[in-house]
Amino acid sequence: MTKKYLRMTLNERMQHLNLAVNFTLLVITGFALSFSTAFWVTPIADLPMGMTFRGFLHRLCGVATVFLGGYHLLYLAFTERGRKIVKDMIPGLKDAIDLWETLKNNLFINRPAKELKMPRFNFREKLEYLGLIWGTIVMTVTGFILWFKTEWLQFFPMWTWDVARAIHFYEAVLATLTIIVWHFYSVIFNPDIYPMSWAWITGNLTEHEMKEEHGLELEMIKAEKGKLVEFDKAAAVGGGRVYPVHREKEEKNSSAGGFLGTVRDLNEKIKNWRGM
Amino acid sequence: MKRREGGSNAWMFLWMVLPIFLIFGWMIGVAWSDNSFCFGCHQDESLKKQDARGRSISLSVSEPGFKSSVHGKLSCSDCHTRIKDDKHAEGGQKAADKRVNCATCHEKADKEYQQGLHSKWIMKGTERAAHCYDCHGKHNILASKNPKSMTHVSSVDKTCNRCHADAVFVKEHALGPPLPKEEFRESVHGKTGEITCTNCHGSHSLKSLIDPKSTIFRSNIPQTCGGCHPDITKQFADSVHGVLAARGRSDSPTCTTCHGFHGIKAKIDPDSPVHERRIAMTTCPQCHAAERISQEYKITTVPVKSYYDSFHGLSYRGGDTFSANCASCHGVHDIRPSSDPKSMIHKDNLQKTCGNCHPGASENFAKGKIHLVASVKGEAFGEKVVGWVRIVYILLIVAVIGGLTFFNFLDWLRKTIDRAR
Repeated sequence: MTKKYLRMTLNERMQHLNLAVNFTLLVITGFALSFSTAFWVTPIADLPMGMTFRGFLHRLCGVATVFLGGYHLLYLAFTERGRKIVKDMIPGLKDAIDLWETLKNNLFINRPAKELKMPRFNFREKLEYLGLIWGTIVMTVTGFILWFKTEWLQFFPMWTWDVARAIHFYEAVLATLTIIVWHFYSVIFNPDIYPMSWAWITGNLTEHEMKEEHGLELEMIKAEKGKLVEFDKAAAVGGGRVYPVHREKEEKNSSAGGFLGTVRDLNEKIKNWRGM
Repeated sequence: MKRREGGSNAWMFLWMVLPIFLIFGWMIGVAWSDNSFCFGCHQDESLKKQDARGRSISLSVSEPGFKSSVHGKLSCSDCHTRIKDDKHAEGGQKAADKRVNCATCHEKADKEYQQGLHSKWIMKGTERAAHCYDCHGKHNILASKNPKSMTHVSSVDKTCNRCHADAVFVKEHALGPPLPKEEFRESVHGKTGEITCTNCHGSHSLKSLIDPKSTIFRSNIPQTCGGCHPDITKQFADSVHGVLAARGRSDSPTCTTCHGFHGIKAKIDPDSPVHERRIAMTTCPQCHAAERISQEYKITTVPVKSYYDSFHGLSYRGGDTFSANCASCHGVHDIRPSSDPKSMIHKDNLQKTCGNCHPGASENFAKGKIHLVASVKGEAFGEKVVGWVRIVYILLIVAVIGGLTFFNFLDWLRKTIDRAR
């Protein structure tokens, strides 16, 4: 049996699925307005109250996406794995070099092709994730301006609303095309991946996939092999799969500093309260 | 002898008086009889004659039909005053002009008719323009209140359609397109059963479209419709369209421009040009997106175009009837220019107009340009900003998506080449 490496926990996969559904619905219901006479809109337009339903669904999905974003922020802040994601997601010089070297490999400038060892989140993923965050912020702000026009227009002139509308549209085009060109290449059309990366369903990557896309991470995992927790001790939501956990942190309980540490210590004290 | 002489005088008297009696008696008989004398021959259904062109014409008259007609108590000779063709002369009977003159009794109707278009065409020699009998019938004329009458309100359209829905007839006489027979019947007016052709076109004195006295002359149409819809005509007369129409501008719309002619439908009917889903698609744009009219009147086609690109327009084109269409903001019959203080889009009234759909619309809400076209050369500040946003974003999209596509294409190419080796 090939070795599996945990890529996405169940929680993360649910977040991904949630985003995928909401994003798709937002794209469909959004462009159904911009191209309301197009042939593919007829199923919506021909429904009684179709366009009203479209608008309602668009707002519903928008709100759902905003809530998902909020949940994701909490996840990043209050789970160990989340904080690790933030740390690993910070772009650095290495990513620019990886991108540059990939380009040189592909153009046969590097002969033979340089073997690139990329970290847990390679430049592709960082680019996309940061783009997604940027896009979500832009779409949320402009979307709420468009939605609450009466309130917005009490304080701002009409042209700001028009600008918000233009941005909302063009950002949507950009986001949709990015997903198609970038994300779908990474997880579907990449010849190494095709027909599909199963990580979003199973949560796992194979050793081969790890080697191709996240060589550096693979090395680190192998180096830390001794520190790996047992199956049953691995994160419950992770389904007991193998992934690196820093044991020191497990052991150093309640060592987090700052506000978070204070809150956690307080919680512990309350929980263990046995009276004066 | 005396007696004989006396008798001779008496005979003389008799011979002199008797013919007078006979002649008068016969005349009175014909005049006041039950017409049995005429019907004796004309009841025969096979009675025919050939006219100058050799066409066979039936001469039969249904006696019960005549008896039950509004003229049933008249004598044949009251109308057929001078029947003078050979056949009747041979029999020693009175002869008459075969053309019946209704005007003898119906003087007023005839006066109207003489002003009307049908009589004018007859005077010009058109054979098939309508005579009295074409619409009223001949021997079986019934009062127009009688439901069986050709001129009863329920039958007038059928009567007119005999010629005006006949494609061949209409083509021969250049009357424009033939009326589809059911078009009027299915219209909102036809369905009432109380309105018919004559309500708008007039009856005896109906006039040509181009006659300024006609009820259907361009500038008279609002007045004609106002006969039944006075409030609307009043509103329309003061509107920007009504004022121009009254001055005879042939491009300015009247009632029929938007509502149609014979087949006028209720506004809730999806086929109606003033149905809420069509009003901004075809009805207003027929002029306001038309090159010729916009050039002539120095109005632009921008409002239509910018509306289509706006949220209102996009949603509307997708079938959203809650979304504002032209009439939502500009009004319906009482459309006025924005400079008119009574206009819905006058700057003092805009807040209320927007507030119809956007409750709580502030004063600031109603400021700013609505029919906005994104362009860096635009007049309004917003147009320029949106124009620049558009340019920046398009460049951004082309650069980003182009770059990503290029990068991935190379990646794909390299991997494919590696596999092929």
